[in-house]
Amino acid sequence: MRKKLIPAILLVSSVPAILFSAGCKKEPPGNSATATFGAYDTEPDWNDTSKLIKLGYAESQGKHIFYTYCVWCHADATPAGPSNRSNLTPMPPLLNDGDKLNGESDEYLQNMITLGGGALGKSEMMPPYGKTLTPEEIKSVIAFARAIAQPPYQKPGRPGSAYAPK
Amino acid sequence: MPAEDMGKLSDKLRLTFAVSTVVCVLVLAISPVKDFRAEWKHYKRAYVKFAQGRSDTKRLLGDYTMEIDQIWLPTMNVTDRCMTCHQGIAQPSLADSSVPQPFRAHPSIPHNIREWGCTICHRGQGPATEVAEAHKTTLAWEQPLLPARFLQASCGSCHQADIKEAPQLARGRELLSYLNCQGCHRLNTVDRSRLGPDLSSVGYKVSREWIYKWLKEPRTVLDKDGNTTVNGYENGDESRMPKFRLKEEEIRALSGFLSVQKAKPIEVYKINPAVVSAWSKNPELLSQGELRFRQMMCTTCHPLAVTRAGETKLIGGNIGPELTKIGSKVNKAWLIAWLRDPKSYLPNTSMPQYRWSDEDLYKVSEYVTSKLSDSDLFSNVPQLGAPTEEEIQTGKRLFTDKGCSSCHVLNGAPTQKDFGPDLTALGRKNASELEFSKSKIERNLVSYIQAKLQDPVSVNPAARMPQYSWNQEDLDAVTTALLSQTGPPPTSALQHLVIPKKETAFQVVGAFAQVFERYKCYACHRFNGYGGTLAPDLSYEGSRAQKKWIAEFLKNPQTIRPALILRMPQFNMSDKDAQVAAEYLSLVLQKPDVDPESVDVRQFTPAMAAKGKQLYEVKYECQSCHTIGATGGYVGPNLNNAGNWLTPAWIEAWLRNPQALLPDTLEPRRNFTEEEIRALTAYLLTLRTGIKTQSVKSAGNLHSLAQGAGR
Ligand code: HEC
Repeated sequence: MRKKLIPAILLVSSVPAILFSAGCKKEPPGNSATATFGAYDTEPDWNDTSKLIKLGYAESQGKHIFYTYCVWCHADATPAGPSNRSNLTPMPPLLNDGDKLNGESDEYLQNMITLGGGALGKSEMMPPYGKTLTPEEIKSVIAFARAIAQPPYQKPGRPGSAYAPK
Repeated sequence: MPAEDMGKLSDKLRLTFAVSTVVCVLVLAISPVKDFRAEWKHYKRAYVKFAQGRSDTKRLLGDYTMEIDQIWLPTMNVTDRCMTCHQGIAQPSLADSSVPQPFRAHPSIPHNIREWGCTICHRGQGPATEVAEAHKTTLAWEQPLLPARFLQASCGSCHQADIKEAPQLARGRELLSYLNCQGCHRLNTVDRSRLGPDLSSVGYKVSREWIYKWLKEPRTVLDKDGNTTVNGYENGDESRMPKFRLKEEEIRALSGFLSVQKAKPIEVYKINPAVVSAWSKNPELLSQGELRFRQMMCTTCHPLAVTRAGETKLIGGNIGPELTKIGSKVNKAWLIAWLRDPKSYLPNTSMPQYRWSDEDLYKVSEYVTSKLSDSDLFSNVPQLGAPTEEEIQTGKRLFTDKGCSSCHVLNGAPTQKDFGPDLTALGRKNASELEFSKSKIERNLVSYIQAKLQDPVSVNPAARMPQYSWNQEDLDAVTTALLSQTGPPPTSALQHLVIPKKETAFQVVGAFAQVFERYKCYACHRFNGYGGTLAPDLSYEGSRAQKKWIAEFLKNPQTIRPALILRMPQFNMSDKDAQVAAEYLSLVLQKPDVDPESVDVRQFTPAMAAKGKQLYEVKYECQSCHTIGATGGYVGPNLNNAGNWLTPAWIEAWLRNPQALLPDTLEPRRNFTEEEIRALTAYLLTLRTGIKTQSVKSAGNLHSLAQGAGR
């Protein structure tokens, strides 16, 4: 708990905002980071929150990282309420945007997150995380993105493998 | 017998021999057949077949033998044969979820499986070679596999301090601490929490009727269906007092006993009559009271119930009790005495002592007693009158018998210890050691713990444990934390693996000690590992912020982080207190390698600042997260006043490596050159605004303030 100081502050801080701003559309988040973070091994489908997506180990670790570092720019609702996404040009893709991300390889995404947008000829507004997160952590965020992608992500099949997706 | 018949066998005997030989051969043959058909060999053969169907057959079968595979770590008590069947466990190409079990690779985790084995985390019977024996409870083995849902419990057996990979465990421990389970049980690795309030003078605070109502149902907020459990206790805002299964006469006796607890009379304070007569007829009195209540940020610590779109929720912090109906609860004279000096009623309270003017005190107390109240609160409570001597004596006995004294101090008597069973080794208990009585649940530890938490009487009709209401997530989190209580490690080698929790103590000395205690800074802020987590960690505040800025901020707090809404109360702090605090923070609370004096501001030239501006806006586009003027994102703090706020040494150190200063910060670490760092620092130091006084004249204004901050 102690280690999650920043998200915890961000979360709790939104409470008075809701008290004061009657027209606010976001639901008030809980008081503790974990209360809003929700279940550890599932994530609601962003397009249809009544559906729950089951997460494996790496995906649930990735969920944790996403909600700490990335949610501010790559989602429309954040634990603190409003999102920074609409402030940015270009507007970052939603993390579950399958149309945009399914076509990109894991390797490309790994580079993008490690080196930042600038290094790959994209916008500097996507910061580099290579010195903040470990390669494993970045892999886990990608695994999480793949798990929640809509339309769902299909792993590219290995040529000649009996286990290629049908 | 004739001699020629010697050595000859009768036909009957021959037949007997023939039959027994065949039987003997058959019996001997069963063993190899049984061996051939052993369950694990079936999986071995299936794996070969599976591997042959893939393109990387050679690698998959590289170290294949038709033998039992085993990880043997004698010092750690591990003999795991799991990979006999789970053969692909370390094959990266088998990580995909399309790979059938038991061949799928293990997800990559921070520990190397070869060095740790499987059962240390998953439990189950390591040396077993049959599926059922390895995974389930058998006659000879009662430690089945830990369901994946609770796996983080195993992290907790060694990691006594919380780790970020195990948030469910951390949440569970947090709940065990928050609900003061240690009041009755012994638990490892769980912080000792605040106790319930001292009840020595509770008779001055509330009526017997209120105590009666509270013991019946320790919640007063109802949802639209009239149910008392608002929002589960998802937000941790709910009362920490659980529900005890008390009989009517027990409630009468306890409420009688408590209502006569009047150890220390309250100091009645008379508000200046001029203030009262000026305001009592003013139609604005209550709305002004509410405004001051909001401005003093009472809801930073205390939640209030808010009903919106038919749904009732508690909104606000969880440091203090919920206040929705407090006006019907407490006596007004007590309230005023409490607000003026909380410590004189509860010496260990975390409520800060505000500096009150009579006007504020009058407005706020009138608002609280008339608006935060419910005239129907006592509609179901009988008129109890004064308690009889017998009721008082019974109540006194019940107070100990029911375990009340495990959480509440009374008349200086220390709280009762070990009222409930020791739970430090609960996670290792065999099902046969547990009491299930007539319950129909599965006979295993996990279902026992969950049943006990949800309804203690279901597994033990005589249970003294009170009733809690959990939502599923919290129930699972607490179960995980309880399963992690596995007692001392079984071998001394394992003992070395335990990573103990650091004990922290933070002692404040000198003039600041009084300020620190009076305003209870530690209720929300953390200092060198000690204190709350609601507000920023102030351990290095002296390296980070300029002294003058700290003093002004304390007198007039404003939000710095746009994604955050201001929660710091305005205490009406005196100049002297603010000065003492600023002195202390900037002298003592420093990061050793970030000396605020170490960077000479005279080196920064306008040309450097101009270069820094360029870097900020174009090369690194810092505006994606930070606001300057009216533009920018709000993930990071607003930098409008960075030049007055931050010390140059802190800015430089931060730009070099933010995580070195604040390990959990979101700010990504960049690759700035030293020259860029100096240019950016020069630029940030040029950003200054005067400290604006927070103008909050009307609710509308306040509203726009909150809106602006959260935009
Ligand atoms: C400050 C806001 C911000 C934060 C925080 C942020 N991103 Fe981004 N991200 C962006 C922007 C803007 C883009 C678009 C870049 C472009 O298209 O030029 C982007 C693009 C991406 C892309 C590439 C999409 C594509 O089609 O190329 C990925 C992947 C990504 N971000 C992942 C992450 C992850 C993972 C994190 C958290 C570790 C994160 N981002 C944090 C702003 C942000």
